[in-house]
Amino acid sequence: MPNFLLLLHATPNKNDLTHMSPEQIQAVIGDYMAWRKKIQDDGIYVASNKLRDEGGKFLTGANGDFRVTDGPFTESKEVVGGFFIISAANYDEAAKVSQGCPHLKYGGRIELREIEPTP
Amino acid sequence: MMSSVEKTHVSESLDHLFRHQAGQMVSVLSRIFGVEKIDMIEDAVQDALVTALQKWPYGEPPDNPRAWLTQVAKNRVLDRLRRDKKSDSIDEESVEVPDLSDQMLDIHFSSELSEDQLKMIFASCHPAIASDSQVALTLKTVGGFSVPEIAAAYLASEDAVTKMLSRAKAKLRSGGIRLEIPAGDVLKPRLEAAMRVLYLMFNEGYSASAGEALVRRDLCFEAIRLARIIADHPVTTAPKVNALIALFCFQAARLAARSDDRGDLVLLSEQDRSLWDKRLIAEGLEHFQRSAAGDELSDYHLEAEIASCYALADGFETINWRRILNCYDTLQSGKFSPVVELNRIIAVGKVNGPERALEELSQLGENYLMTSFNFFHLTRAYFFAELGQNSQATDAYQKAADLTRNDAVGRFIQKKVAALT
Repeated sequence: MPNFLLLLHATPNKNDLTHMSPEQIQAVIGDYMAWRKKIQDDGIYVASNKLRDEGGKFLTGANGDFRVTDGPFTESKEVVGGFFIISAANYDEAAKVSQGCPHLKYGGRIELREIEPTP
Repeated sequence: MMSSVEKTHVSESLDHLFRHQAGQMVSVLSRIFGVEKIDMIEDAVQDALVTALQKWPYGEPPDNPRAWLTQVAKNRVLDRLRRDKKSDSIDEESVEVPDLSDQMLDIHFSSELSEDQLKMIFASCHPAIASDSQVALTLKTVGGFSVPEIAAAYLASEDAVTKMLSRAKAKLRSGGIRLEIPAGDVLKPRLEAAMRVLYLMFNEGYSASAGEALVRRDLCFEAIRLARIIADHPVTTAPKVNALIALFCFQAARLAARSDDRGDLVLLSEQDRSLWDKRLIAEGLEHFQRSAAGDELSDYHLEAEIASCYALADGFETINWRRILNCYDTLQSGKFSPVVELNRIIAVGKVNGPERALEELSQLGENYLMTSFNFFHLTRAYFFAELGQNSQATDAYQKAADLTRNDAVGRFIQKKVAALT
């Protein structure tokens, strides 16, 4: 089965986060944990990681002109908070699994990409 | 904002972990950095919880989530202190960055943790803080309740709660209140004050007059948790603290039975006793027995005894109303309270009949505060109905309805009126 990459985009909304109560924060974490456990139990979880909020870089190197610029989110208000990799038969299946991810419920966006298997 | 948050997935063992943890971290960090830095500390605690929110979805939570959260919050305060020190060249000396070794933060020592919270309870219930703010401040600092939660419990606006907390915290910021467990001569009055605050906290949760049911229930159990902390400490424990916990436990045991599926009020006589929490009743009994040590008979003793009569009777018919009436008589011989008098008269009605109760109620009605209290009219309606005087009962229910702002009580009254006509 092919693997799919779920990039969890979030609009940084510090204001909302600073006003959440400890109870609410716990409930949201609980939702994510429950979802991760579910895809683990279903045997379709492959990997997941949080990406650091700060310190992203853009690299270019055309014509031997190697450059490092800060980014990657200078142009976008969105930040990729982290990613999951799951296995699914096809895009439809992967989308169905992603639909259960609480990230959507809490106002985030998920970018879904099929990972090309190495031959 | 986050009202859509569902609680269903949070496992039982994690129940209120973050809320309790927030209160504990505020207490621990206040001990380390000083309670006058309360704003910075609260921000740091919130930051730590938000950091968990951003990290934990992607992997297993840390082995010791409490230690992890405390460490993150501690580092946030240190960062802030270092930054302030750098930016403020004039007043550099005044900002000391404590060099913290990890053993200072060893939160495995739960007795030390309780001690930190105990000190925070006494600070939040300090007489320098306006008495109407003490409950809210205690909920915020030690309890980990948020402003919207406190507002929901009190049916107050979030603005009003924020302002109230800000005034109260100004006292903490001013440095005039020390984090300490009161000793010697001051212990007694400070303990009284703290118990009073917990009593009000519990009643706010228990009373059916206003607020959201779920938060109100949490208030009750927070009052019990904090009272246990006081009772467990060798310096602050006292028979009357055990009486207070006994009272809370006996009352809280009936919480689930006090409203039906729609949230409507269910009277004691109609409550499904199988819904009563046997464990809480047993705990209440244990504390009640401990409260008998010593020779002081506090109001909490009497109230606990009354609550025990309800909680321990086999059924509504076997409630010992005479014993309840005796307790109320003793209570009222001390400091007279019109609200307690109302409850006493209910016992009078059970012991001496509805006519006698109505007589005493009409006397009590001369107190103008009483006539604007919905339970006064509910009680009159109840005894009129017992005598079969239905039109007077209906009138009284109507008056009660006009004074009621809680939907559940409103629906309860409608049902009663419908049954009469």
